[in-house]
Amino acid sequence: MTLYHLREMHRSVKLAALLFLLVLGYAYVFAFLMVKTWAGLTPAEVQATYVPAAATDTMAMPEHSTSAVQPLDLSRVPEMKHTVDTALLIQDSHIHIMIYAIVAALLSLIILGLGWPGWLRDGAIVGAFGFGALDFAGQWLMKAGLPGFAWLTILSGWGMALVYVIVLLGTIRAIVPSQVR
Amino acid sequence: MRSRLLWALAVPALLAAHHPTPTVVLVKQADLIRRTLPGATQFFLRDVTIGKADLGRIQEQIDFTPDDPNVKFYLGKRADGQPAGTVFFPQVNTAHGPLEVGLTMTPDGVIASAVVTKATVETKPWVEEAVATGLLERFRGMRYGDSLETALSGVAPDRMARMSYYEAEVITTAVHHGLVLYHELFRD
Repeated sequence: MTLYHLREMHRSVKLAALLFLLVLGYAYVFAFLMVKTWAGLTPAEVQATYVPAAATDTMAMPEHSTSAVQPLDLSRVPEMKHTVDTALLIQDSHIHIMIYAIVAALLSLIILGLGWPGWLRDGAIVGAFGFGALDFAGQWLMKAGLPGFAWLTILSGWGMALVYVIVLLGTIRAIVPSQVR
Repeated sequence: MRSRLLWALAVPALLAAHHPTPTVVLVKQADLIRRTLPGATQFFLRDVTIGKADLGRIQEQIDFTPDDPNVKFYLGKRADGQPAGTVFFPQVNTAHGPLEVGLTMTPDGVIASAVVTKATVETKPWVEEAVATGLLERFRGMRYGDSLETALSGVAPDRMARMSYYEAEVITTAVHHGLVLYHELFRD
Protein backbone atom coordinates (compact mmCIF):
# COMPACT_ATOMS: atom_id res chain seq x y z
CA MET A 1 0.00 0.00 0.00
CA THR A 2 1.35 3.40 -0.95
CA LEU A 3 -0.04 6.38 0.92
CA TYR A 4 1.98 9.06 -0.80
CA HIS A 5 5.50 9.50 -2.10
CA LEU A 6 7.56 12.27 -0.57
CA ARG A 7 9.78 12.04 -3.64
CA GLU A 8 6.85 13.18 -5.83
CA MET A 9 5.66 15.97 -3.57
CA HIS A 10 6.03 19.66 -4.29
CA ARG A 11 9.46 21.08 -3.53
CA SER A 12 8.06 23.05 -0.57
CA VAL A 13 6.77 19.88 1.09
CA LYS A 14 10.21 18.28 0.78
CA LEU A 15 11.80 21.44 2.13
CA ALA A 16 9.43 21.50 5.12
CA ALA A 17 10.12 17.82 5.89
CA LEU A 18 13.88 18.26 5.68
CA LEU A 19 13.95 21.45 7.74
CA PHE A 20 11.70 19.88 10.37
CA LEU A 21 14.12 16.98 10.70
CA LEU A 22 17.21 19.19 10.80
CA VAL A 23 15.75 21.50 13.44
CA LEU A 24 14.58 18.46 15.40
CA GLY A 25 18.14 17.16 15.28
CA TYR A 26 19.34 20.56 16.48
CA ALA A 27 16.96 20.24 19.44
CA TYR A 28 18.11 16.66 20.06
CA VAL A 29 21.73 17.85 20.46
CA PHE A 30 20.60 20.06 23.34
CA ALA A 31 18.35 17.32 24.67
CA PHE A 32 21.41 15.08 24.82
CA LEU A 33 23.44 17.77 26.60
CA MET A 34 20.57 18.39 29.01
CA VAL A 35 20.28 14.70 29.86
CA LYS A 36 24.08 14.44 30.21
CA THR A 37 24.13 17.45 32.55
CA TRP A 38 21.07 16.81 34.68
CA ALA A 39 20.53 13.06 34.70
CA GLY A 40 23.69 11.40 33.40
CA LEU A 41 24.27 8.76 30.78
CA THR A 42 25.10 5.72 32.89
CA PRO A 43 22.62 3.54 34.80
CA ALA A 44 24.15 4.61 38.14
CA GLU A 45 23.77 8.32 37.31
CA VAL A 46 20.23 7.87 36.03
CA GLN A 47 19.28 5.88 39.13
CA ALA A 48 20.73 8.60 41.36
CA THR A 49 18.44 11.09 39.59
CA TYR A 50 15.18 9.16 39.73
CA VAL A 51 15.26 6.50 42.45
CA PRO A 52 13.89 8.05 45.65
CA ALA A 53 16.37 8.37 48.51
CA ALA A 54 15.70 6.11 51.45
CA ALA A 55 14.05 8.03 54.28
CA THR A 56 16.11 8.47 57.42
CA ASP A 57 15.04 5.90 59.99
CA THR A 58 15.26 7.86 63.25
CA MET A 59 14.63 4.68 65.26
CA ALA A 60 17.81 3.16 63.83
CA MET A 61 19.92 6.18 64.78
CA PRO A 62 22.68 5.74 67.36
CA GLU A 63 21.94 7.18 70.79
CA HIS A 64 24.75 9.72 70.56
CA SER A 65 26.13 11.62 67.60
CA THR A 66 29.43 10.52 66.16
CA SER A 67 31.78 12.38 63.89
CA ALA A 68 34.71 11.69 61.63
CA VAL A 69 37.19 14.21 60.26
CA GLN A 70 39.10 13.69 57.06
CA PRO A 71 41.31 15.91 54.88
CA LEU A 72 39.40 17.49 52.04
CA ASP A 73 40.46 18.28 48.50
CA LEU A 74 38.22 21.22 47.61
CA SER A 75 38.32 20.32 43.95
CA ARG A 76 36.51 17.14 44.91
CA VAL A 77 33.62 18.65 46.89
CA PRO A 78 30.63 17.01 45.24
CA GLU A 79 28.31 19.54 43.70
CA MET A 80 24.59 19.30 44.04
CA LYS A 81 23.16 16.27 42.30
CA HIS A 82 20.01 17.14 40.41
CA THR A 83 17.24 14.80 41.41
CA VAL A 84 13.72 14.42 40.07
CA ASP A 85 11.07 13.99 42.74
CA THR A 86 7.55 12.76 42.05
CA ALA A 87 6.10 16.26 41.61
CA LEU A 88 8.79 17.22 39.10
CA LEU A 89 8.39 13.90 37.27
CA ILE A 90 4.66 14.60 36.87
CA GLN A 91 5.55 17.98 35.41
CA ASP A 92 8.21 16.50 33.12
CA SER A 93 5.89 13.68 32.03
CA HIS A 94 2.94 15.82 31.05
CA ILE A 95 5.09 18.08 28.89
CA HIS A 96 7.46 15.53 27.43
CA ILE A 97 5.01 12.73 26.64
CA MET A 98 2.75 15.17 24.82
CA ILE A 99 5.67 16.61 22.83
CA TYR A 100 7.00 13.10 22.11
CA ALA A 101 3.57 12.16 20.73
CA ILE A 102 3.45 15.26 18.50
CA VAL A 103 6.98 14.65 17.22
CA ALA A 104 6.20 10.95 16.64
CA ALA A 105 3.08 11.93 14.68
CA LEU A 106 5.08 14.34 12.48
CA LEU A 107 7.81 11.73 11.96
CA SER A 108 5.08 9.24 11.01
CA LEU A 109 3.74 11.63 8.38
CA ILE A 110 7.19 11.68 6.81
CA ILE A 111 7.68 7.91 7.23
CA LEU A 112 4.40 7.27 5.40
CA GLY A 113 5.80 8.98 2.31
CA LEU A 114 9.19 7.30 2.19
CA GLY A 115 8.02 4.31 0.19
CA TRP A 116 9.45 1.86 2.70
CA PRO A 117 8.32 -1.76 2.93
CA GLY A 118 5.54 -2.30 5.44
CA TRP A 119 7.69 -3.92 8.12
CA LEU A 120 10.15 -1.02 8.13
CA ARG A 121 7.44 1.63 7.95
CA ASP A 122 5.40 0.15 10.80
CA GLY A 123 8.51 -0.61 12.84
CA ALA A 124 9.70 2.98 12.54
CA ILE A 125 6.26 4.34 13.48
CA VAL A 126 6.02 2.04 16.50
CA GLY A 127 9.56 3.07 17.45
CA ALA A 128 8.76 6.77 17.07
CA PHE A 129 5.83 6.52 19.46
CA GLY A 130 7.07 3.67 21.64
CA PHE A 131 10.55 4.83 22.66
CA GLY A 132 9.19 8.11 24.04
CA ALA A 133 6.57 6.27 26.07
CA LEU A 134 9.15 3.74 27.31
CA ASP A 135 11.53 6.55 28.30
CA PHE A 136 9.01 7.80 30.85
CA ALA A 137 7.84 4.30 31.76
CA GLY A 138 11.42 3.65 32.87
CA GLN A 139 11.51 6.88 34.88
CA TRP A 140 8.26 6.04 36.67
CA LEU A 141 9.37 2.47 37.37
CA MET A 142 12.57 3.83 38.93
CA LYS A 143 10.46 6.24 40.95
CA ALA A 144 8.48 3.21 42.12
CA GLY A 145 11.70 1.80 43.54
CA LEU A 146 12.82 -0.40 40.65
CA PRO A 147 16.29 1.01 39.83
CA GLY A 148 17.02 -1.66 37.21
CA PHE A 149 14.71 0.17 34.81
CA ALA A 150 17.38 2.85 34.35
CA TRP A 151 18.38 0.70 31.37
CA LEU A 152 14.93 1.10 29.87
CA THR A 153 15.19 4.88 30.04
CA ILE A 154 18.71 4.91 28.61
CA LEU A 155 17.91 2.51 25.76
CA SER A 156 14.72 4.40 24.97
CA GLY A 157 16.70 7.62 24.59
CA TRP A 158 19.10 5.96 22.17
CA GLY A 159 16.10 4.34 20.46
CA MET A 160 14.56 7.75 19.77
CA ALA A 161 17.88 8.91 18.32
CA LEU A 162 18.07 5.78 16.14
CA VAL A 163 14.57 6.31 14.74
CA TYR A 164 15.44 9.94 14.04
CA VAL A 165 18.63 9.03 12.14
CA ILE A 166 16.84 6.36 10.10
CA VAL A 167 14.05 8.78 9.15
CA LEU A 168 16.55 11.55 8.34
CA LEU A 169 18.58 9.27 6.08
CA GLY A 170 15.41 7.94 4.45
CA THR A 171 14.16 11.47 3.86
CA ILE A 172 17.44 12.67 2.35
CA ARG A 173 17.41 9.61 0.12
CA ALA A 174 13.84 10.36 -0.93
CA ILE A 175 14.26 14.03 -1.73
CA VAL A 176 17.67 14.02 -3.38
CA PRO A 177 17.14 13.57 -7.14
CA SER A 178 18.05 10.03 -8.16
CA GLN A 179 20.50 11.20 -10.88
CA VAL A 180 22.47 13.01 -8.14
CA ARG A 181 22.64 9.82 -6.17
CA MET B 1 -18.07 29.56 24.88
CA ARG B 2 -15.85 32.43 25.96
CA SER B 3 -15.91 31.38 29.61
CA ARG B 4 -14.99 27.83 28.60
CA LEU B 5 -12.03 29.20 26.73
CA LEU B 6 -10.99 31.23 29.76
CA TRP B 7 -11.22 28.13 31.97
CA ALA B 8 -9.23 26.16 29.41
CA LEU B 9 -6.47 28.76 29.66
CA ALA B 10 -6.75 29.39 33.40
CA VAL B 11 -6.70 25.80 34.67
CA PRO B 12 -3.35 24.83 33.09
CA ALA B 13 -1.93 28.19 34.23
CA LEU B 14 -3.07 27.53 37.81
CA LEU B 15 -1.66 24.01 37.70
CA ALA B 16 1.62 25.34 36.33
CA ALA B 17 1.76 27.89 39.13
CA HIS B 18 1.77 25.08 41.69
CA HIS B 19 4.50 23.07 40.05
CA PRO B 20 7.80 22.92 41.87
CA THR B 21 10.54 23.99 39.49
CA PRO B 22 14.08 22.70 39.04
CA THR B 23 16.70 23.58 41.59
CA VAL B 24 19.37 26.10 40.62
CA VAL B 25 22.80 26.47 42.16
CA LEU B 26 23.48 30.15 42.86
CA VAL B 27 26.94 29.60 44.32
CA LYS B 28 28.94 26.37 44.18
CA GLN B 29 29.73 24.96 47.60
CA ALA B 30 33.46 24.61 46.88
CA ASP B 31 33.62 28.22 45.66
CA LEU B 32 31.90 29.48 48.79
CA ILE B 33 34.23 27.51 51.08
CA ARG B 34 37.26 28.90 49.26
CA ARG B 35 35.90 32.44 49.20
CA THR B 36 34.71 32.75 52.79
CA LEU B 37 37.75 31.07 54.38
CA PRO B 38 40.42 33.16 52.63
CA GLY B 39 43.21 32.47 55.12
CA ALA B 40 42.75 28.72 55.03
CA THR B 41 45.42 26.62 53.38
CA GLN B 42 44.14 23.21 54.48
CA PHE B 43 40.59 21.95 54.41
CA PHE B 44 38.87 19.15 56.30
CA LEU B 45 35.45 17.56 56.25
CA ARG B 46 33.78 16.76 59.54
CA ASP B 47 30.94 14.37 58.92
CA VAL B 48 28.60 14.24 61.92
CA THR B 49 26.13 11.37 62.17
CA ILE B 50 23.24 12.67 64.23
CA GLY B 51 22.33 10.62 67.30
CA LYS B 52 18.91 10.38 68.92
CA ALA B 53 19.90 12.56 71.88
CA ASP B 54 21.11 15.43 69.70
CA LEU B 55 18.17 15.04 67.33
CA GLY B 56 15.84 15.36 70.30
CA ARG B 57 17.55 18.58 71.43
CA ILE B 58 17.48 19.95 67.87
CA GLN B 59 13.80 19.14 67.45
CA GLU B 60 12.97 20.93 70.72
CA GLN B 61 14.22 24.11 69.05
CA ILE B 62 13.37 23.81 65.37
CA ASP B 63 11.16 21.87 62.98
CA PHE B 64 13.87 19.57 61.68
CA THR B 65 13.58 16.18 60.02
CA PRO B 66 16.90 15.11 58.53
CA ASP B 67 16.81 13.94 54.92
CA ASP B 68 20.29 12.63 55.58
CA PRO B 69 21.46 11.60 59.07
CA ASN B 70 24.92 12.98 58.25
CA VAL B 71 25.61 16.71 58.51
CA LYS B 72 28.75 17.94 56.79
CA PHE B 73 30.92 20.71 58.22
CA TYR B 74 33.80 22.00 56.09
CA LEU B 75 36.72 23.22 58.19
CA GLY B 76 39.54 25.47 57.09
CA LYS B 77 42.90 25.74 58.84
CA ARG B 78 45.63 28.32 58.37
CA ALA B 79 49.22 27.42 57.58
CA ASP B 80 50.05 27.54 61.31
CA GLY B 81 47.32 24.99 62.06
CA GLN B 82 44.94 27.50 63.63
CA PRO B 83 41.28 27.19 62.60
CA ALA B 84 40.12 29.71 60.00
CA GLY B 85 36.44 28.90 60.27
CA THR B 86 33.74 26.41 59.40
CA VAL B 87 31.31 26.34 56.49
CA PHE B 88 28.16 24.28 56.26
CA PHE B 89 24.95 24.32 54.26
CA PRO B 90 21.62 24.19 56.13
CA GLN B 91 18.64 23.67 53.84
CA VAL B 92 14.93 24.39 54.27
CA ASN B 93 12.40 22.60 52.07
CA THR B 94 9.28 24.54 51.15
CA ALA B 95 6.31 24.04 48.86
CA HIS B 96 8.26 26.05 46.28
CA GLY B 97 11.34 23.86 46.49
CA PRO B 98 14.51 23.80 48.58
CA LEU B 99 16.51 26.79 49.73
CA GLU B 100 20.08 26.28 50.92
CA VAL B 101 22.23 28.79 52.75
CA GLY B 102 26.02 28.60 53.02
CA LEU B 103 26.90 29.66 56.56
CA THR B 104 30.48 30.47 57.48
CA MET B 105 31.24 30.54 61.19
CA THR B 106 34.28 32.05 62.83
CA PRO B 107 36.21 29.78 65.22
CA ASP B 108 34.41 31.41 68.14
CA GLY B 109 30.96 30.59 66.78
CA VAL B 110 29.92 33.87 65.18
CA ILE B 111 28.44 34.14 61.67
CA ALA B 112 31.12 35.48 59.35
CA SER B 113 29.06 35.13 56.19
CA ALA B 114 25.66 33.93 55.03
CA VAL B 115 25.03 33.31 51.34
CA VAL B 116 22.08 31.70 49.57
CA THR B 117 23.63 28.89 47.57
CA LYS B 118 20.62 27.04 46.21
CA ALA B 119 17.09 28.05 45.22
CA THR B 120 14.76 27.07 42.39
CA VAL B 121 13.95 28.53 39.01
CA GLU B 122 10.70 29.82 40.53
CA THR B 123 12.10 31.26 43.77
CA LYS B 124 15.37 32.71 42.44
CA PRO B 125 13.94 36.19 41.61
CA TRP B 126 12.21 36.40 45.01
CA VAL B 127 15.40 35.30 46.76
CA GLU B 128 17.40 37.90 44.85
CA GLU B 129 14.97 40.64 45.87
CA ALA B 130 15.16 39.52 49.51
CA VAL B 131 18.96 39.43 49.39
CA ALA B 132 19.06 42.91 47.80
CA THR B 133 17.63 44.34 51.03
CA GLY B 134 20.90 43.56 52.79
CA LEU B 135 19.36 40.74 54.81
CA LEU B 136 22.40 38.47 54.58
CA GLU B 137 24.81 41.18 55.75
CA ARG B 138 22.68 41.70 58.86
CA PHE B 139 23.29 38.11 59.96
CA ARG B 140 27.01 38.79 60.26
CA GLY B 141 28.22 38.86 63.85
CA MET B 142 25.21 36.94 65.13
CA ARG B 143 25.58 33.74 67.09
CA TYR B 144 23.45 30.96 68.57
CA GLY B 145 20.85 32.44 70.89
CA ASP B 146 20.65 35.82 69.16
CA SER B 147 17.28 36.91 67.80
CA LEU B 148 17.38 36.72 64.02
CA GLU B 149 14.23 38.82 63.92
CA THR B 150 16.57 41.82 64.16
CA ALA B 151 17.95 40.95 60.72
CA LEU B 152 14.53 40.20 59.27
CA SER B 153 13.08 43.44 60.62
CA GLY B 154 15.29 45.32 58.15
CA VAL B 155 13.22 43.87 55.31
CA ALA B 156 10.20 46.05 54.61
CA PRO B 157 7.33 43.78 53.50
CA ASP B 158 5.34 46.72 52.11
CA ARG B 159 8.16 47.63 49.70
CA MET B 160 8.58 44.27 48.04
CA ALA B 161 6.65 41.41 46.46
CA ARG B 162 4.84 39.23 48.96
CA MET B 163 6.81 36.16 47.86
CA SER B 164 10.11 37.99 48.25
CA TYR B 165 9.30 38.70 51.89
CA TYR B 166 8.32 35.04 52.25
CA GLU B 167 11.75 34.05 50.89
CA ALA B 168 13.39 36.45 53.37
CA GLU B 169 11.59 34.52 56.11
CA VAL B 170 12.74 31.19 54.62
CA ILE B 171 16.35 32.44 54.50
CA THR B 172 16.08 33.53 58.13
CA THR B 173 14.69 30.09 59.02
CA ALA B 174 17.62 28.39 57.25
CA VAL B 175 20.12 30.55 59.15
CA HIS B 176 18.32 29.77 62.40
CA HIS B 177 18.41 26.05 61.64
CA GLY B 178 22.11 26.40 60.85
CA LEU B 179 22.90 28.07 64.18
CA VAL B 180 21.03 25.34 66.06
CA LEU B 181 22.76 22.55 64.12
CA TYR B 182 26.15 24.17 64.64
CA HIS B 183 25.52 24.59 68.36
CA GLU B 184 24.30 21.04 68.88
CA LEU B 185 26.51 19.10 66.49
CA PHE B 186 29.76 20.97 66.02
CA ARG B 187 31.78 20.30 69.12
CA ASP B 188 35.54 20.43 69.54
